[in-house]
Amino acid sequence: MKKPKIGRIGLACFLTIICIFSLFPFVWMLVTSIKQQPEIMAIPPTLVPKSVTAEHYRDVFIKSNMPRYFINSTIVAAGSTLIAIGFAILGGYGFARHQFRGKILLQNAVLSSQMLPTASIIIPLFIILRSLNLLNTYFGLILAYLIITLPLSVWMMTGYFRSIPIEMEEAAFIDGCSRFGVLWRVVLPVSIPGLVATIVYCFVVTWNEFLFALCFAMDKRVMTLPIGLAEFILEFTVDWGALMAGSVLMTLPIVILFFTIQRAFISGLTSGSTKG
Amino acid sequence: MNEGRLAKKHSRAGILFTLPVTIFLLSFIVFPIFTNLRLMVFENTGEFAGGKYVSAMIKDPSIWKSLWVTFLYVGGSVFFQILLGTTVGIALDQPFKGRGIVRSIILIPWVIPGIVAATTWSWMYHGDFGILSRLLIDLGIANARQGLLTQPATVLPALIAVNVWKMFAFVSIMVLAGLQSIDRTLYEAARVDGSNIAQEIRYITLPGLRYVLMTVILLLTIWGFNSITLIFTMTQGGPADLSLILPLHVYRMGFMFFNFNAAAAESIFLFVILTILISLYLRLFSKSTEGNV
Repeated sequence: MKKPKIGRIGLACFLTIICIFSLFPFVWMLVTSIKQQPEIMAIPPTLVPKSVTAEHYRDVFIKSNMPRYFINSTIVAAGSTLIAIGFAILGGYGFARHQFRGKILLQNAVLSSQMLPTASIIIPLFIILRSLNLLNTYFGLILAYLIITLPLSVWMMTGYFRSIPIEMEEAAFIDGCSRFGVLWRVVLPVSIPGLVATIVYCFVVTWNEFLFALCFAMDKRVMTLPIGLAEFILEFTVDWGALMAGSVLMTLPIVILFFTIQRAFISGLTSGSTKG
Repeated sequence: MNEGRLAKKHSRAGILFTLPVTIFLLSFIVFPIFTNLRLMVFENTGEFAGGKYVSAMIKDPSIWKSLWVTFLYVGGSVFFQILLGTTVGIALDQPFKGRGIVRSIILIPWVIPGIVAATTWSWMYHGDFGILSRLLIDLGIANARQGLLTQPATVLPALIAVNVWKMFAFVSIMVLAGLQSIDRTLYEAARVDGSNIAQEIRYITLPGLRYVLMTVILLLTIWGFNSITLIFTMTQGGPADLSLILPLHVYRMGFMFFNFNAAAAESIFLFVILTILISLYLRLFSKSTEGNV
């Protein structure tokens, strides 16, 4: 396909602007996090730091509660992902390979619960978690996060299982494998890409989640990173250098995780929507 | 068809496999919705309160103002997310060197945590030291140092800009996937007939993307109604409640004023509004596809 030259140049300019637009806030966060305090407050701001310092990162690690929040976030995200993936494997397999009364209804319920505005259930959830003594606990937050991650996880796994040819399972079944054995020994080993995409989805969503963490885990012992960062910014005088350093540290695991499995994740995400 | 042989015999197994999900949905989504209803019409003591909380809510002008702010914020966000995201998606479909890199770069805003977007942009919008405020002064758009987030006229556009920055790449990726399903020979046929790029986009690309765009608009709207992170962190609903969207209104009523019954009434209000919107939208969508197919 030969395109007119002006079109190519226009395209290049447009995409360059889009790239700068996408990257700049990220770059600015990095730059601010390594500037010395006086330079952060310089007018006009400097694009390239005159001198570089690690003091903000040191502050974050030593003076703030961030390391604790980092551990909390990891525990909650990992725990919730683990349970979600277990439920999603079972549920997805049930939907993909079995017929039963009420299946369509249940599938629709799963899908529409994805559309539930989370803010509309924070009050009853607070009451339920309180009555179970699960407020300000890891497990309470882990359970709450399943509300957000489970619907799409089940949907993703259902789609993935459906795309696997059924013949192998039938063969294993005839050979005397139990239903659960078929799932465990035959289906799961060939479902790794789908599993990875779903795991990453769950982890990223729970790592980033804000509202439930704000309502159900305000105690410093279980507080997660997003709320820790928000506390920083809501203080009367904001330490912008440390805030940007904290933001960088919170972003890194997600960006690394995402770009290592980007391809699998995007194909998992888009496969359902384009096939219709 | 393929599922038939294994499937029909084991209907009990299907129920067992899906049981954990079913129990979870019932106890953590269905039950909470009923708890909301109970809180709305019963006092904490168990006395029947009737329509007390509902009528108090309806008479409260702040909830209607909040609804309007929500419409502006979500409507503005979705419009620009679709506009920018689709344009970028179509641009990324052209073959050129470095396409993979560009695609990775635009995904960064979408991948980073919402709270990080909020902290970074708050810093860029900072009235005294923010680089964006500085830029606007230099360009002559703003004449004095003022935080965009504290001015009534600019607070919503400023928040919408962040939301667009955060989400447009999602639209682009979906559009890019949708483009792959368009029959390429349509373009060749059109080119033989002497079409230009604008006509191709208007008559082949956009109709081909209809299904994807409709799905994406629905998702973006739902997410918009949920997006509390940016606004809670950047403005807390201010100035003068001009960015107080409904989810934040619910949060404030429940967790700052500790009025759970009133907050439950507002939760149901939010739920009903979104449900009406979605069903109207789906009806419109199915009609428009019937007409075209």
